[in-house]
Amino acid sequence: MKTGLRVFLGAFVALGFSWLGFVLGPVLQLGTQGQTTVLNSSQIYPNQRPGAATLGLQVYRANGCAACHTTQIRQDGVVCDVALTSAGSNPSAVNELVASLTLTNLTKPEADLVSGKISAAGGKTETQIVPIGADISRPGWGLRHSVAEDFLWDNPVQLGNVRVGPDLSNVGLRYGETWELAHLYAPASESKTSTMPPFRYLFTLQKIGATPSPDALQLPAGFAPAAGYEVVPTEDAKNLAAYLLSLRADVALHDAPFSTASAPAGGAQKK
Amino acid sequence: MSEQVKENFETPPEQKSPTAPVWIFALTLLLLFVGGVYFDRNSGWFDSQVYAPYGSSDNLELYQPKSGLASKLAQGKLAYSTICAACHGDDGMGKPGQFPPLAGSEWVKAASFKRVEEIPQLGLNGSIHVLGQDWNSSMAPMGAGLSDADLAAVLTYIRKSWGNNASEVDDTDVKAMRAALAGHPAIGGEAGLNAIKE
Repeated sequence: MKTGLRVFLGAFVALGFSWLGFVLGPVLQLGTQGQTTVLNSSQIYPNQRPGAATLGLQVYRANGCAACHTTQIRQDGVVCDVALTSAGSNPSAVNELVASLTLTNLTKPEADLVSGKISAAGGKTETQIVPIGADISRPGWGLRHSVAEDFLWDNPVQLGNVRVGPDLSNVGLRYGETWELAHLYAPASESKTSTMPPFRYLFTLQKIGATPSPDALQLPAGFAPAAGYEVVPTEDAKNLAAYLLSLRADVALHDAPFSTASAPAGGAQKK
Repeated sequence: MSEQVKENFETPPEQKSPTAPVWIFALTLLLLFVGGVYFDRNSGWFDSQVYAPYGSSDNLELYQPKSGLASKLAQGKLAYSTICAACHGDDGMGKPGQFPPLAGSEWVKAASFKRVEEIPQLGLNGSIHVLGQDWNSSMAPMGAGLSDADLAAVLTYIRKSWGNNASEVDDTDVKAMRAALAGHPAIGGEAGLNAIKE
């Protein structure tokens, strides 16, 4: 075996290099990632998901939700909008100046220039940091790109790479538990054009006893079970719904800044 | 076989060492340079805090929003929804018969924020008169665990939301109140609240 040593060294170098790139590099970069504080606040982010949601992640994984859903929001760039907060002692002059300036879609240096001009005229301004991108412009999808912290407590992380269904990074902001459960049982009952398969095995059909179960789903006609029966979610379904509701990456962080003034009230469609 | 043929066979012609054209080296160096420039611009030097579109930590620093009134209100709203809203409601209306409303409350809207500042810091046990009704329940010092900035933000939020339009509360105000009231027991209702020196 004259070439044995050479083969060994060749294999060692090849595997060693991929180990450096795939293991050591990421660990050096993100291995010490921990909780951080929300921007301009002392709140800790992210908090551990509730127990049911942690179990729900395993249901999410077991049912292959990540095959059709992503949990990562992309951001193409960031712009600044200058907002006038006070017109000062000479409002007509300031308003005239403001009308002649572009106040949106600026870079930071441009925004500084504009607010400098306005404050020289006596007005007060606030610069809003606004992330932009195709994902962010979709209502309810997210306010900023996903960052490593968002997945701190998830094992395994269910990023997904195909969007047959919508991104779920902020699905907890969009809907409530009732919606999630009804949607898992009969997707078409909540969104007509949904191509999602129904996950009926996460629910039990049972005869209504002396009193109806408080957990029973309220389903529209056409999806409701026969009279005298009710559909109740299993523990798995409840855990999965808890996980989905815990998906809300909506706070500004140092590495993903945005002006919190533009933050939504929290789910227009929530019910 | 002649001598000449034999010699030619045994000593093959000298081989030139293989060469590569110069342009390959030039191209490699150029690619390395372009790669270096790209790396310098976009890698953030592998900082775990720097992602696209920021490129470098300096650029990221540039886009950190300054804390103004708008972001203070948003910060207050965040803390309000996690701490206060359970009793006082997302709409600030409280719960009839249990927890007094904050929307329109004369305590919240008062010109001086001293009173409304003291309640979350110390807690309130006993009767208080709000909007023509007596409310007799108990509130734990829910705001005592918040930072100065967060408590100031919550107070600013409730003083400026749901139709309230009172003045802003600053971190320094909260800090001063905390220093003045250190060790003070929970407030005993409206009488106790009025007994604290303004």
